[in-house]
Amino acid sequence: MKPTPLWPWLRGTCAMARVGVAATLSARTVLLGRALFYLLVMTVLTRFWTTVAHETSAAGITLPAGILAYVAITEWIALSVPAIHLRLEDDIRFGAVEAHLLRPIPYLLGQIGQTIGAMLVRLALLSPGLGVVLLTGESMLPPITAWLSIIALAVLGGTVHILLIALAGLSAFWVRRTVAAYLVMQKAIFLLGGLFIPVTFYPDWLARFARGSPFAASLYWPAIVVLQPDQSTVVMAFLAVFAWIVALSLLCAAIWHAGLHRLLTQGI
Amino acid sequence: MLLYIAEIVAAIRISLADRTNFTVLFSGMVLNNGFVLLMWFMFFAGFRSVHGWQRADMALQIGILAITFGAATVFAGGYRDMAAAILRGDLDARLTQPSAVLPRLLAQESGPHGWGDILVGVLLLAFAAALRWQDLPALPFILAGSLAIFIASGVLFSSLAFWAGGARSFARDLVEFILLFGSWPGSIWSGATRLVVYTLLPAGFVVVLPVHFLRAPSLVEGGLLMAAALTYAALAWAAFTTGLRRYRGA
Amino acid sequence: MSAITVRDLRKQFRYAKSGRGLRNLIAPQYTNIDALGGISFTIAPGERVALIGPNGAGKSTTLKILTGILLPSGGNATVLGLTPWQDRMALARRIGVVFGQRPQLWSELPVRQSFALLRRIYAQDAAPFATRLDALSERFDLAPLMAQPVNRLSLGQRMRCEVVASLLHKPDVLFLDEPTIGLDITAKTTIRDLINAQAQSDGLTVVLTSHDTRDIELVCERVIVVNAGRIVVDQATETLRRRFLARKLVTLRSAAPAITLDLPGVSARPAEPHIAMLDVDTRIARIDSVVAAALSLGGIEDITIEDPPMEEVIHEIYAAASAR
Repeated sequence: MKPTPLWPWLRGTCAMARVGVAATLSARTVLLGRALFYLLVMTVLTRFWTTVAHETSAAGITLPAGILAYVAITEWIALSVPAIHLRLEDDIRFGAVEAHLLRPIPYLLGQIGQTIGAMLVRLALLSPGLGVVLLTGESMLPPITAWLSIIALAVLGGTVHILLIALAGLSAFWVRRTVAAYLVMQKAIFLLGGLFIPVTFYPDWLARFARGSPFAASLYWPAIVVLQPDQSTVVMAFLAVFAWIVALSLLCAAIWHAGLHRLLTQGI
Repeated sequence: MLLYIAEIVAAIRISLADRTNFTVLFSGMVLNNGFVLLMWFMFFAGFRSVHGWQRADMALQIGILAITFGAATVFAGGYRDMAAAILRGDLDARLTQPSAVLPRLLAQESGPHGWGDILVGVLLLAFAAALRWQDLPALPFILAGSLAIFIASGVLFSSLAFWAGGARSFARDLVEFILLFGSWPGSIWSGATRLVVYTLLPAGFVVVLPVHFLRAPSLVEGGLLMAAALTYAALAWAAFTTGLRRYRGA
Repeated sequence: MSAITVRDLRKQFRYAKSGRGLRNLIAPQYTNIDALGGISFTIAPGERVALIGPNGAGKSTTLKILTGILLPSGGNATVLGLTPWQDRMALARRIGVVFGQRPQLWSELPVRQSFALLRRIYAQDAAPFATRLDALSERFDLAPLMAQPVNRLSLGQRMRCEVVASLLHKPDVLFLDEPTIGLDITAKTTIRDLINAQAQSDGLTVVLTSHDTRDIELVCERVIVVNAGRIVVDQATETLRRRFLARKLVTLRSAAPAITLDLPGVSARPAEPHIAMLDVDTRIARIDSVVAAALSLGGIEDITIEDPPMEEVIHEIYAAASAR
């Protein structure tokens, strides 16, 4: 078996990430729209949780202080992830993949690299909005050192999110439109990833399942550090996201090879 | 009218032609809605109500939204890509034919995943929304009004493409905003946010007012819904015809 | 009465200048582009006219105004007695339009169903429509294609279907915008022959824009050349060729590997061994003198005398117009 050229692939992926950065920066109106959408979403969620908070005390359930900070982080990550599934769908369905097969970097790795670059720009550009939400909120914020971990986890969690969406996009080898696979994946991430509330609030059986799933690695684990900035939670969070990045990468590679085999033997 | 029906029937036939594709999209949408409902059912199991809005009200709201969105996707699916059609110049061929342009743009596509939304919406209304028999006669009126406002909003947003090239994704985002606002309990809106959901992004008219009307019917609310439907339809028509004049170089 | 009358037609487009940042929002500045600077012409019923010119000349703008898609900035025009931009719907029932680059058929529907939808659009009665469809289908050889979705057809097959689609409602005028673009030679020939045959049998007035000079030569009897929004030439195709080029192309095939003919007004083009292609300026050298001189060399196996290709004619017209 031929050894994989890891170092050239890594360089190529970084180059594609730079392409993603440049392409995203050039689409200024789209970025502005996304920032506006983030603020709208946070307006809705702030209204929601503020209303709920008044009711819960009567019902005997207490919301965690800092729930809005938690939700601000999960939304920050979720809205920063570009729609890689659409690019995969277009390239696979319209044959653009074939041209990429001749390049020295694997197509899927290049696309993921480009998407990570785009995600970094969005994370950076949405961070002022995140800052506004956090500073105008009433909750106590964790120390600066915890923020370094949160930012690193946000990037890694976003990468998990990209890999999950890429799985939906790879379904284009078998179905015409990936919208159904994407929506299912998106809702699984929202629900089991704890987009709107930490999964610890779910029934026990569901909470355990969710925490161990890749969906929690994309949103819950990065965001929970803002509520629980202790060392053991931070370590657990890093372990979870790294483990799922490896596992999902292998899964994406396997599905890609199966799909490519289908494309090259049967066409689409 | 007959032409519109013929075109939308053709579009639906196309969407149903590929059975695998239809099954995948239909099931995907049902599963997608299932996740959303699971989230809300879990929430209301724990939190009981949100400013008076209970689980049955949420089921009613989501049911109306699902049927509205599903029906728009199936019967007027062209609204989703209307901005792109305008920017591509697809209107040229239609302008050389003896028919109105807007209805044909709406009828050019039917999304198979819309059927999944319609099914989930109907099931919600039937089994979870706590509707009474006496509410049923008002349901067609409510759904028609909701659908008219939703489609009119889509047309209004897409018409921005007559003036700005970047409107394609912006129009889609604005429709997503309506769905976003319509997916949260209607009882949380007040002040500025209430103004937004009853004007720029009319989720209030699409879902909140219909829920209020069904729970406690009143002539005022019924009249408001009808007036909103007529107003948004008129605005959409005006925006489109003004934009079309611009497209034609007036 | 003429089928199409155009009087001093003008069209100006206005574009906002970009690259000025926020100033564009506060005080936008505009650039005016004159797409049409006042053109006039008349087309009689049954005439077949080519509207040609370099890219950006104003051909498509003219076509769009005459079909009711675009409003002019000034001047007037009538098609079949109707003002296109005012009577769009009424005119649409009486014209057929084929856009080479913009299909009007439903790409995912079988051809037959697309035609059925067009019957509704044009409010045609079922029986006469079916008769007309059968006749056109036979002439254009569409029978094998009727059950196939449009997006499964080759480009040539699709264009045949598009042309038939534009003829189903028995229009009086047929507008064709680049109908043979992207087609191979065989498909182009087929489309041209079919348009000619149909135009003759229906008495159709045809207005065609194209960059392919063979479209002009083989379909149209009259050429209107537009450049920079103005009409440069408006003449019969044959007159155009003769007027602009007092030249003939004489091709000789000889047993000898090379043929040399040194005569005033005669210049040789590069050619293969045993072939000589001579450009003869008929204002200086007479054709019979050139032929006699060639024959006197001996060994001539074949002589062809023809007009230069229309391409060269058009090229000369464009060059002359640019020089003005």
